Formats: sequence, C-alpha cells, structure tokens
Amino acid sequence: MTQFTLNGQSVEIDNPSDELLLLVIRDKLGLKGTKYGCGAAMCGACTVHVDGRPEFSCQLSVGDVAGAEVTTIEGLSEDGTHPLQKAWVDQQVPQCGYCQSGQIMRAAALLAENPNPSRTEIAEYMSANLCRCGTYNRIFKAVEQAAQEV
Amino acid sequence: MTTSLTKSDFSRRGFLKGGAGLAFFLGAGGLSAVAVRAQNAEPLDVNPWLTISPSGTISIVFPSTEMGQSSYSTLPQILAEELDANWDDVVIAQLNEDDRTFGNPLFGGVLYTAGSTSVQGYYEPMRRAGAQARDVLLQIASRQLEVRKDSLRTEPSAVVAEDGTRLSYGALAASGTEDVQIPDADAIALKDPQDFRIIGQEVPRRDVPAKSTGKARYAIDVEIDNMAYAAVLRTPVEGETPRSVDDAEARAVAGVIDVVTLPDGVAVVAESLWAALGARDLVQVTWSDSSPARAFDSNATLAAYAEAARDPQAEAAVWAQTGDAASAIAKADRTVSHLYLSDYAYHAQIEPMAAVATVDPDGMGAEVWAGTQTQSWTTHTVMETLGTTQDRIRLNMMTMGGSFGRRTAFVQDYVRDAVLSSKAVGRPVKVIWTREDDVKHGTFRPAAAQKLEAGLTAHGRLTGWHHRVATPSVIGFFNPGRWEAVKPNDVISMRGAESKFYGIKDFQADHIITERQARLAPYRGIGAAYTSFAAEAFMDELAAEAGRDPLDFRLDLVEENPRGRHLLEKVAEMSGWRARGDRALGLSFAGYSSSMAAGVAEIEVDDDTGEIAVTQIWAAVDAGRIVSPDNAHNQIEGGIIFGISSALTERIDIEEGQVLQSNFFDYEILRADRVPQIDIYMATVEAPPTGVGEVGTPMASAAIANAFFAAKGQRLRHMPFTPDRVRDALQSELRLDL
Repeated sequence: MTQFTLNGQSVEIDNPSDELLLLVIRDKLGLKGTKYGCGAAMCGACTVHVDGRPEFSCQLSVGDVAGAEVTTIEGLSEDGTHPLQKAWVDQQVPQCGYCQSGQIMRAAALLAENPNPSRTEIAEYMSANLCRCGTYNRIFKAVEQAAQEV
Repeated sequence: MTTSLTKSDFSRRGFLKGGAGLAFFLGAGGLSAVAVRAQNAEPLDVNPWLTISPSGTISIVFPSTEMGQSSYSTLPQILAEELDANWDDVVIAQLNEDDRTFGNPLFGGVLYTAGSTSVQGYYEPMRRAGAQARDVLLQIASRQLEVRKDSLRTEPSAVVAEDGTRLSYGALAASGTEDVQIPDADAIALKDPQDFRIIGQEVPRRDVPAKSTGKARYAIDVEIDNMAYAAVLRTPVEGETPRSVDDAEARAVAGVIDVVTLPDGVAVVAESLWAALGARDLVQVTWSDSSPARAFDSNATLAAYAEAARDPQAEAAVWAQTGDAASAIAKADRTVSHLYLSDYAYHAQIEPMAAVATVDPDGMGAEVWAGTQTQSWTTHTVMETLGTTQDRIRLNMMTMGGSFGRRTAFVQDYVRDAVLSSKAVGRPVKVIWTREDDVKHGTFRPAAAQKLEAGLTAHGRLTGWHHRVATPSVIGFFNPGRWEAVKPNDVISMRGAESKFYGIKDFQADHIITERQARLAPYRGIGAAYTSFAAEAFMDELAAEAGRDPLDFRLDLVEENPRGRHLLEKVAEMSGWRARGDRALGLSFAGYSSSMAAGVAEIEVDDDTGEIAVTQIWAAVDAGRIVSPDNAHNQIEGGIIFGISSALTERIDIEEGQVLQSNFFDYEILRADRVPQIDIYMATVEAPPTGVGEVGTPMASAAIANAFFAAKGQRLRHMPFTPDRVRDALQSELRLDL
C-alpha cells in the first residue's frame, strides 16, 4: 500500500510499489491528462510536479512518491484558469495537444523558480519537453504572457 | 461541444417523436432532399452534413480526422460561413464511419486525411452545402412571412425581413418544409468573400481549451468497462512469423490474462499495462528466419540507390516532362551535375500507436477506438481481420497525438492487433505500443539518391533540367492495391520533383523505382521533403556556378508565376537579402501541391562540433485563400520546424533488417533550445485554398544547406546535416585552403 497526495487529496493504492507512477496516475487513478510519450525521460509528455519539482512520471515508481505531494495537469488549477492555461488559450498554442499537459507543467515549474524568465531561459528550461507539431515559439509567448500575470 | 454521428444514431433519432428539426441530406452531388423530422418521419439511411434543431443548435459533420491540423474546426467553418451561421451555435460531429457520401474529393471519395487536402478538397462542396441550406431557410421564412424571398437577408443564424422581423434558424427549422424547392448545387450563388464573417477571421480553435487542461481524449486514453491491456512483442525483422512461443513464465505473472499469437507477433494481454509490459519481457519466441528483409542494410541501400541515380542507363519512369531536357543540356555552354542523398526518417508523433477494440460475442463485429488518418482503411482493416461486413463495425475516430503520415496504411496493424486480442480474450483490449515499438517497427520516409543535371547558357541562365530520383515506391508498400492502379506514378515518392513553380522550358524528372528495403509510409511533405532539398540545393549550386545571385537566378524562372515571384521578392525584403553582406543566409523556394513557400534561413556553424544553429527563418507563403489565419500560421511554423528538424538530425539506420534507433535519445527531433525565430508572411490572394499543413516543410532543408554554403563555401549534399557530415564538409574546406 502506497500513500501520497495527488492534487491535494490523499490517495492510497495497492499497485506494486515498483509500478510506474505514470501508469498508476493514468490507469489506476484515472487522470488521463498526463501522457505517455517515450518512457525514457526524453519527451516530457509525462511531466508532473512532485513536491513542487518537475519530474518525469515515467521515471518514478509509485513507491518513490510515498508521502509526497504529486500535482498533475488536472490539479494545476480547479477550473483550467491557471495563468499558463489562459495564456495557452490566448496564444492558441496546441496543435495535436498531446504534449501540452507536460509543457504546461514544465512551464509552471519554471515560473515557480523564475517568475520573470528571459526568452533564452524559457527555451533552455522547456528543452526537456518535445513538441513534434512545432508549437515552441507559441509556448515561449504563452510563458511570457503568463509571467506578466503571475 | 462535440457530438458523434453515425448512421445508426441518426436513424434512431429519426424515430424520435416530436423531435422536429431540419436535416439536410447531401448526396455526393449536393443537397438532394430535405425533410422535417417529425412524428411520422421515415427512418433515414443517409448521413446529413448538417442538422438544425429547434433550439438553434447547428450540427455540422466533420468528415476528416484530427491530428493537430485543426481541420476539425476549419472544415465546419466553411459550411457555417455560407449558411451564415453564428459559429457559437455550431457543434461539430465527427464522422465515425466509412460513409463515402462524405469522401475526400481529392482521394477519389475515400475518407482519407492526408496531403494537406482537407480544406482544399472540401472547400467547394461544403460551401455549396451551406449555401443550399441557407436558401432553404430563406424559402421557409418567405412562406412564413408571406414576403418575397429576395426581400430577406440573413444575419448570423437568423433570417431578417425588411421590416426588421427576425426569425431564428432554430424557429425556421421547426416550421416545416412545405413547398420548399431544393436549389441546384452547381448554380447556387455563393457569398462574395468580402462578406465573409467566419472564413479569414480569427476564429479560435474549438479544441484548445481541452488541450490546455489535460481533458482532450486520445485513443491511448480510452477506458471502457472490463478493459484489458496488451503489449505486443513484434517480429524483430519484417516478414518473419512466430514459429514457437514459450509463454510459461509470462503467464505466471500476476495479472496476465492470455498470450495471443498474432500473424507477426505475440500479444501479452493483462489486467494492467504494467503487467503486460513486464510479462512481455519473459516471452520466448522462436521466429522464422527466412525473410529477405534480414538483408536490409541502410548503408548498402543508399549506396545502391546512389549507383542507380548515377547510372544513365538505369530504367526510369518519367514523372514530369516539358520540352527536351537532354538536348537543351547537351547544347548548353556549361553543364553542372550533383548527387544528393537523404536517409530514412521517422514520424516521431508523440502519441505512440494505440487502439481499443471490443469484439462482439459472435466474433463478427466490433467497436473500435483509434486515431487514424482514414475511416475507410480502418474500417477495411477491421472487416478483413474479422471476415465481416461493414455494418458490424462501430468506429470511434479519436483525435490523434500527431501523425504526419504515420497512420495512413491500408492495413493498420495496431488496430488489427487490438481486434485479434479482444477476440481471443473475450474482453475489450487496449493495445499500446511503447516508443521503442514505434521506432523499431516504424514506417519511414524512404531513403533517396538524386542526381541532378542542368545546363547554363553563356549568360548564366538555366537551360535544361534533369532530375533523377532513385527511391522505392512508397505506395507500392503501404497500399499495394492503389499502386496497381497508379503505377508507375508514385506521388508519395516523387512529389516536388516536378518543380512546377518554375517555368523551365526543357525539363524532365524521372523516378528510378528502386527495390524497397524498409517499411515505408507517407511523411510530412512526402516526396517534396527530399526532392525539394535536392532541387533547391542544386539551384543554389547552379547560381553559384553561373556567378549570379541565387535570388536573381530564380527570378528568371518565375516570369510566368507572378504569385511565386511575389513570394521570392517578399522573403528577400523580409530577410534583408539584397544587403546581406557576409551574413550566412540561404534561399529556397518550394512548396507542396499548389501551395508555395519561399524561405530564407540564417545559420551559425560551430566549426569544432559541427553543429548548425538555425537562428532565424523568414518565410513567404501562398496557400490560396486562408480559411483560418491564426491556425494557418501555426501550421506553417510547425511545418518549418519539422523541416529544420529533419534537415539537422533525423536519421534511421537499418542493419540486418533491424532499426538501430529506439527512442528520442538516438532519434533526435528539434528541441526548444534549437528553435529559431520564425517570421511568416501569408499572401492575400483571391484563389481557392490549397492547404497549409505541409507547405512549410519542403523548403527548409535546402535553405539551411544554402546558408551553409554562404557561411563556409562548402556544400551539404547528404541530409540530415549531422555534425559528422558538417565536419567532413568543413574538412574539405581546409583541404581547399591548403
């Protein structure tokens, strides 16, 4: 039995403690916003926050987060109105959208660390996450817009 | 605001008592009947493009599939424009069956979302469908108000009379179609584009809020009651089959339900993906070992293709021809010839292949959830797999996490595997490929070797152009039946080699159809992703040989293409081309189908590492009328980034029939820190739309290669321009200096 906090709520799950956090979040807890893309820490589609830090949930077992606070895209805001989410809509960032939960979670961690990042700092930080549709420049603009609000 | 529409749903609704509303039935030729759905309505066996409910909700069919290109929003906008609908009243109904009534006019009526054709192909029929429906609404209002139809006008979702009386579309839909005449589709008047309220406006995409909150649902997210998960151990080499399977250890893993032998693999079905993946590692399979694909080796393949391209006697199919290229080149003052190479490339869509199937208890029907680029071939795949008829198949076309050609095949193995697994275990099954599965068992843009030869006059003008492309037929692999109908013309392999945006008097492009030595698929830009690299890199070499500015050299060739000329001049202005001094700028002019793009790349080269940094791209694009400008900008920018990525790093290698790469650490795609600033100009033209999904891609690679020449005086003729190849090119520079 592993206990952790998911989006502010305590959860206890009986999956094997070495099972991937990503799969537990998606299939056991039913939160599908966190995506599987590579399973190798290379694409960032699975990005969540663990105790406020951005982590690849494909690289953590559920045992690794025992007692920790895990936040997914579903928990970033109650109603999808986090400044980053509003900026994502304003800038019409997504195309296929598959990577965007991870992008937003990565960007939220960036703004928590550095509320006023330069374009270069944004690009470097966001390089952990891939977008095959090529929406990067819109992501940069959306992060800059949200930084104005945060 | 999404609904799903299938034939059976609609028939069922047809029986609803008192549910009066207008349904417009469009056959292939347009609106053919109109009826009020009322108490005694007959069940309806046609699929309507639109319905208007008494509440005013307007449901419009989306006949394509969505993979990020946004035709999901854009196509219904076209119909809504001519209907004069309030866009907020529109709900979008995904077409979930192989109903050729809605077939893509540019794919012979097959439901196929590819080739940047959706807006191009559906623009006219969907405008006419909307205009017919609007005319019917005007007729009903005319009857209701007892005024002449031509005294009425429409405002968004309402008919307005001269005295100011307003009748909403919803109210009109409920008031009966007595005496209504169906206007002729071909003769109906369409809006003057000056009156457009939706087309050309900044209408936000419908799917962006869900995609910004984690709520968008892809095939990989589908969850249904009692569903199991499957991971498939696939044959390491194409063409092999499992001879014997030792699954004892796998079956002993907690949660494993069954191990199912497939034609070319073994599926481990379990209660969780985690259990399925773990057990898959324990399955021991003895594979057959006689497949000719075991000899596939990408280095040998490219060498063989290069030899074929160099061989003037190699048998070739003429792809495009004007005048007499050979004679013009023979008579030229000087001739220039170079060979260009490109490796296999992988789609790298971020959502791996995934599908859910639940097969009916009799094994002769199924419901399937999948993201694919074609309702038609997905239906076909399920029919063939179960040996059943179309009426037993219920599709759910899911929005895709990218595709770029990945999900176009005539036979879709991941869908097939979900169906076979579900049939075997008697439960719904979700098949998910890992990233490694997707790379190792990918279908690729073909490797190609291209020989270009051209003549120059004494005045440094082009005379005669011969482009020979040695590459296999892509269609021959991913849709063999189609190949029988079209061979030897393979647009997937050859697009772009026709260089149709230039007026080259004596021109020939040939396809040397080489032996296929990998699994192949259409890929963003299809042939133009490499033919335009070769053609535009060669064009730059010709200009240098002629001692002319690459812009001027090209401007000679667009005298009969004023729209193309405008793009070249525009991109020159945007980039400061004429005053570039020693900036490392490269020019390229290509496109996709009838959409054109002129691009300039600015780069920096790290001489030590061989890394190319693209610092800026300027692009001038003409894609006809732009239906949704902000999305078009996003698509073009994405296409350019795809092209840069493919030019710099993307390469698949094959040895002994197996793909060497396995994930994003050894198949690199462009990351945020390598993305240049991109300035895009979209020409405003009075011309039909020609597609924006791929136009940005083909010109990018040659723009970078040509910028490299501007920077270093050396040529990059083998794509991708990986650091080792760049260093080799720089070495030859040093040798010249000696």
